[in-house]
Amino acid sequence: MKRISIILSIIIVASMLLSACTKAPEVVETEAPPATTEKTVLNVWSFTNEILTMAVAFEKSHPDVDVVYTMIPMTNGEYQTKLMATLGTADVPDVVALEAAFVKSYVESDFLADIGDLQKYADELKMYPFVYEVGMADGVHKAYAYQATPGALFYRRSLAKEYFGTDDPVEIQKLLADFDKFIAAAEVVKTKSGGNTYMVASNGDFQNLFFANREQPWVVDGKLTVDPMVEKMVETVKLFRDNGYEAKANQWQEGWFAGMNDTLKDAEGNPKKIFSYFLPTWGLPYVLAPNATSADKTSTTVGDWGVVEGPLPYQWGGTWLGVMKETKKMDLAKEFIRFCTLDEENLTNWATGVYTNEYLKAIDPTVPEGQSQAAGDFVGSQVVVEKITAGFDDSEMSAFLGGQNSYGGFAAAAPSVNARLMQGSDDAIQRALNDPLNSYLEGTLTLEEMWSTWKDAVRNEFPDLIIN
Amino acid sequence: MSSKIKHNQYGYLFVAPFILGFLIFGLYPVVNTIALSFTDKTLMSATSSFIGFRNFQNLFADSTFMTAITNTWELWLMNFIPQIAIAFILAIWFTNTRLKIKGVGIWRMIFYMPNLMMASAVAALFFSLFSFYGPVNQLLVRSDILPEAVDFLRNPQIARGLVVFIQWWMWFGQTTILLMAAMTAISPSLYEAAWVDGAGTFQMFTRITLPLIKPVLIYILVTSLVGGMQMFDIPYLLTDGRGSPANSILTNNINMYMKFHSSKGHIGAASSVGVIVFLMTSAVALLIFFLLREKHSTGKEIKEK
Repeated sequence: MKRISIILSIIIVASMLLSACTKAPEVVETEAPPATTEKTVLNVWSFTNEILTMAVAFEKSHPDVDVVYTMIPMTNGEYQTKLMATLGTADVPDVVALEAAFVKSYVESDFLADIGDLQKYADELKMYPFVYEVGMADGVHKAYAYQATPGALFYRRSLAKEYFGTDDPVEIQKLLADFDKFIAAAEVVKTKSGGNTYMVASNGDFQNLFFANREQPWVVDGKLTVDPMVEKMVETVKLFRDNGYEAKANQWQEGWFAGMNDTLKDAEGNPKKIFSYFLPTWGLPYVLAPNATSADKTSTTVGDWGVVEGPLPYQWGGTWLGVMKETKKMDLAKEFIRFCTLDEENLTNWATGVYTNEYLKAIDPTVPEGQSQAAGDFVGSQVVVEKITAGFDDSEMSAFLGGQNSYGGFAAAAPSVNARLMQGSDDAIQRALNDPLNSYLEGTLTLEEMWSTWKDAVRNEFPDLIIN
Repeated sequence: MSSKIKHNQYGYLFVAPFILGFLIFGLYPVVNTIALSFTDKTLMSATSSFIGFRNFQNLFADSTFMTAITNTWELWLMNFIPQIAIAFILAIWFTNTRLKIKGVGIWRMIFYMPNLMMASAVAALFFSLFSFYGPVNQLLVRSDILPEAVDFLRNPQIARGLVVFIQWWMWFGQTTILLMAAMTAISPSLYEAAWVDGAGTFQMFTRITLPLIKPVLIYILVTSLVGGMQMFDIPYLLTDGRGSPANSILTNNINMYMKFHSSKGHIGAASSVGVIVFLMTSAVALLIFFLLREKHSTGKEIKEK
């Protein structure tokens, strides 16, 4: 009897331990078809469900492969944290998606494999140079992207007509062709609207623009470097704040979005308008279009937008794919990346809306409801872009832009973008500037104090950086 | 005799899960953190080396670290003092048999409610309320209290005030319930005896209530201290996650997270912040135990009485 109770208590203790050790289901795992024994499993991690569409399409042409897709959101950096924590362990995935903010830290590290033999496909498809340059470190190719993300300037057609007498993109581009002209135009907008229309919504809108046009990266030989373009950015945002050309909204916050559907009101309830937004390719389908109609449907700006290159060429964001060095399925992982980023048929399907939910369901019935890719994402291959641009003349996106084919506009802007200056530490260094910059704009810090506060913040995050 | 000893062994079996859990999830991370704090390990490189006290030297040479330490203490003290004061008043009212307040259960529930909300939801709520284009600005400007809209969350004092208020608002209900539990456990006959002897309310509080709830008081102090030194979610989510404006709500844990979360993931440097917070918290907790320890009655006291 006693023995039985001892055994029982051991079992209880053991089961408690086991239950404590089982992994909590912390990530959303979407297993594409049920794993059968003969299929080769390829583990893919990403931070959105976008690439799941491609993974399903990949299974159509590779029926012997089972792509296990894991989505971990990156809202507060969960994805980066989870990925960093698995580096060097057995849990590491085969293929990883890397966002612009952190792609460089991985490309610069030793964790990604050399996938340079894919470059011949990139040359064939005439990929925009920055699409693969970002994925390069010391001449080695480690990541490729399916998108190109050149930036543009979106403006309100009705307001352009009111203040400049024309809403023609060609004429507007002439008026805003460089920063001196842009500032002059901001003054026109302010005087003609009696201060009720702002040229831009937030000072954050300018940052990507100026950062993309620097001549030196943030870190040169281990030393923190401030390019003249950064100083010019500070100068420009100060001018916009002091002259009331900027609505003092914050990017990605209420006021910034309200300006897109014309519901921005100041604290007294006076309506205010925003003339233009700096947004990249993906900004149109993912940011501007969804926010162009107010939540109560009473105010909409659909059809009232135009797009121009704006004063400076730039690029913003993007998703790259890389192969982890530890993978045991190198060839398959490379093939997956080739298919997603350097395959003419796939890129065409991706951009033209072929991957509907029904299409994906036909390949794999377990695909979630709503999983699909709408037409209009700007892909990284010049060959594909040239072939499909004309097809967007009558698309929904063109209707949104008052009949303008934005795809053509992006195609014109894409070749002049360069991303050679991107470094792994960019994101943290640039974020550190936000708070001191805003204090400077408010007048609570002098210019001098702003730089030193920023340097302190950078020093705190990068202990081994030389900062003068 | 021998069977008795065997019986005692069951005890070990039943505490084993806790001991194992503590060793794996409690002690090991602490030891590992201390070990890491002497290295330059980053998550993005496979190798790391022992660098002695360099991480700590960097910390103390860095004004940001000192700001974080002072901020954490100030934010904790500013919310803890009103929190325990209000909780005491409420707990005394609710447990007072002569006041007989109605609906104690409902009040208690209402006060506890904020604690059930997710910190992220609370932070998002306050963040929207006090944004430049938010309702608080609209209300104050339209009722002529403010001449023009204020960017509240760009003002260091207001941002701090909000963090202190949210922390107070979320935790005073919890403290009240703990104090009430301790107070109701005191036998009413003690108060009756004191009352018969002619003691006033204040005397009863200082001579009966306070000494008898001291263990609970120590518990509240120490847990609140530990929680306060690790304050993270509200200040992290209220502004940009970097303690802005002007580092006014940068706490120890935000500082540690920033080091960990920088592009390379400097976990060595982040661990050194953790070690300092651990040492600081332990020292102060021990000091609290020492100051509020049970004083053994010496014969002298009795003689005096």
